[in-house]
Amino acid sequence: MHIQKKITGFLVLLIFFFSFAGSLVPSAQAAEAKKTYTIATDTTFPPFEYQDASGNYVGIDLDLLKAIAEDQGFEYRLQPLGFNAAVQALQSGNVDGVIAGMSITDERKQVFDFSEEYFQSGPIMGVDANNSAILSYEDLRGQRVAVKTGTEGATFAESIKDQYGFTIVTFDDSPQLIEEVKAGGSVAYFEDYPVVAYGIAQGNGMKMPLPKEPGGAYGFAVKKGQNAELLKMFNQGLANIKANGKYDEAVAKYLGESSVSEGGEIEIAATPQMSGFELIWASMPAFLKGLGYTVYYTLISLFFAFILGLIFGSMKVSHNKALRGIATAFVDIFRGIPLLILAFFIYFAIPQALNFTMPIWTAAILALSLNAGAYVTEIIRGGIQSIDKGQMEAARSLGVPYQTAMRKIILPQAIKVMVPSFINQMVITLKDTSIMSIIGLVELTQSGKLVVARTFQSFEVWLTIGIMYLIVITILTKIADRLERRVSRG
Amino acid sequence: MDKVKVTGLKKSYGSNEVLKGIDMEVREGEVVCVIGPSGSGKSTFLRCLNLLEEITAGKVIVDDHDLNDKNSDINKIRENIGMVFQHFNLFPHKTVLQNITFAPVELKKQTKAEAEKTALGLLERVGLADKANAFPASLSGGQKQRVAIARALAMNPDVMLFDEPTSALDPEMVGEVLGVMQDLAREGMTMIIVTHEMGFAREVGNRVIFMDGGYIVEEGTPEEVFGNPKHERTISFLEKVL
Repeated sequence: MHIQKKITGFLVLLIFFFSFAGSLVPSAQAAEAKKTYTIATDTTFPPFEYQDASGNYVGIDLDLLKAIAEDQGFEYRLQPLGFNAAVQALQSGNVDGVIAGMSITDERKQVFDFSEEYFQSGPIMGVDANNSAILSYEDLRGQRVAVKTGTEGATFAESIKDQYGFTIVTFDDSPQLIEEVKAGGSVAYFEDYPVVAYGIAQGNGMKMPLPKEPGGAYGFAVKKGQNAELLKMFNQGLANIKANGKYDEAVAKYLGESSVSEGGEIEIAATPQMSGFELIWASMPAFLKGLGYTVYYTLISLFFAFILGLIFGSMKVSHNKALRGIATAFVDIFRGIPLLILAFFIYFAIPQALNFTMPIWTAAILALSLNAGAYVTEIIRGGIQSIDKGQMEAARSLGVPYQTAMRKIILPQAIKVMVPSFINQMVITLKDTSIMSIIGLVELTQSGKLVVARTFQSFEVWLTIGIMYLIVITILTKIADRLERRVSRG
Repeated sequence: MDKVKVTGLKKSYGSNEVLKGIDMEVREGEVVCVIGPSGSGKSTFLRCLNLLEEITAGKVIVDDHDLNDKNSDINKIRENIGMVFQHFNLFPHKTVLQNITFAPVELKKQTKAEAEKTALGLLERVGLADKANAFPASLSGGQKQRVAIARALAMNPDVMLFDEPTSALDPEMVGEVLGVMQDLAREGMTMIIVTHEMGFAREVGNRVIFMDGGYIVEEGTPEEVFGNPKHERTISFLEKVL
């Protein structure tokens, strides 16, 4: 009989858990009804999109989008996700459109519908300014070259790598290319030329020994066969702002006057460089906000992980083989899948397969909860099994039902055993939230990435971010230690 | 009237048969001592009487309730069967008083105030009134076992099962626990006691059961079993322990 009760309780909690996650979906749909489009973009692709010092997303793409939306009178909500995440979010229908310096290619035309070309680009090679050995592609023979996934630079490097005999390493972010070359891992990188030129103008210590290659054009993309009216408005708006000069204005703002007319070499006025300390000081509000989110997501995920752990943990110690089997499968699956894959699966794969949309933070909390839930299940199982079985027998011999005995006799004792492992899991989950920056979750690591993308000062930023994690984890651990002492004192 | 009636009771763990067919009954107010070498199945037998061990075959009837009947509520039946364990099994996170009041309050037999009153009375009876607010960890073995007896009595059971209640005690503490049990027997409690205390079995028991190899080999009054054992396994066992 108690098994039946347990199953009912389990189902209720499961429904609660998923309805919580699900309750966030209608809000996105409601927004769609008001014709507010969700448009995804990259986070770290200056000068097309990047975060400025006050935390706003700016860049050519975003200025164009804004001008076009004003011209055509549609509302949109910007979702800065990172390039890969943006493309996958469009594929899975989580967003309506992507504007992210995306080159129009035949491959992409298979899955996306593109607007008219709005910017002529082309890949170019960047090398360290102090490196005088790389003057032509020929000099790359036997060397490593860095590219960013899905860019024209990557396609171009791929097309010449056999001819010139170099190997390619792939990264997700533009700043990582610079860091790779600075650190000496690769001797050169290929990127879209406005990006390279802009970075050099910002003092990232690179140079362009060769002229740019002829390249494709950037387009605004929607999922194939969908959002035709959005695409139409974009094209119409683009034509209008090209005619009324707003287009030139936007491009000139980032690339300078000369580039607009002929589309040739770019001259950009360098923005004054801040010292490391000034930069960290100026970025601190953004970092603290990111840190707040990190702690917030950690606590929410741990809350759900604890509920999941309680459910599956008690199933694991049950006498019922089927329940034990279900719990074991849960643990094996979510402990066995890397968190990153789980996040991709939940955020990209499931919505695409089942045709619904899911906010990033729901996906992130689901992934973190399920992953931590598997570990908490094992912690709870271990804790319960560490309690002498005479305790359960004594309670049962008095006529106390299994559930009550578990709740009032076994768990209070087991929790003391579990507390150190819970603290450990809390630290792990807090650090794991950083993985969610890959799907574009705004948290501490993501806020660091954004600042590095704009300023290229990776040392100062990552040192600061690392110390911030360290401080928060130390504080939380100390609080937990105190709690543990209180618990074990009774 | 039979308080407990066991017919054809068998218990196996996998292919290992521990109880091979037990038939016995216990009348109201009777004190039955179960003796026998270790591994004879006597503890398993006792644990079958409140279904801490599942029964493989046979029937156990306590207070007219068939334990294995799908319709009987085992929790209700257990309320009427107190059990005292070799290792006390007190709840370490609860005080002595809370140990005793836990089940009556939890099962809504009594209000908290009533249960505490009963508990203090029981503690008085086992000579531990001053330990009401102590935690089990601060008690000696003998004191722990007396609290465990009080805890079982708090449910006001009809039958008490004792599973080697003095085996884990230092010799000097055995007496205080046996004393409490003796008082209980005198008051007319129906008791089944698995024990190695032959002196106690002889003095307090109405009947002695000798088990070996999963069977009841011999039973009778203490005088019969101790004074004039018939079976040779009984004789050789008693020779070793007396």
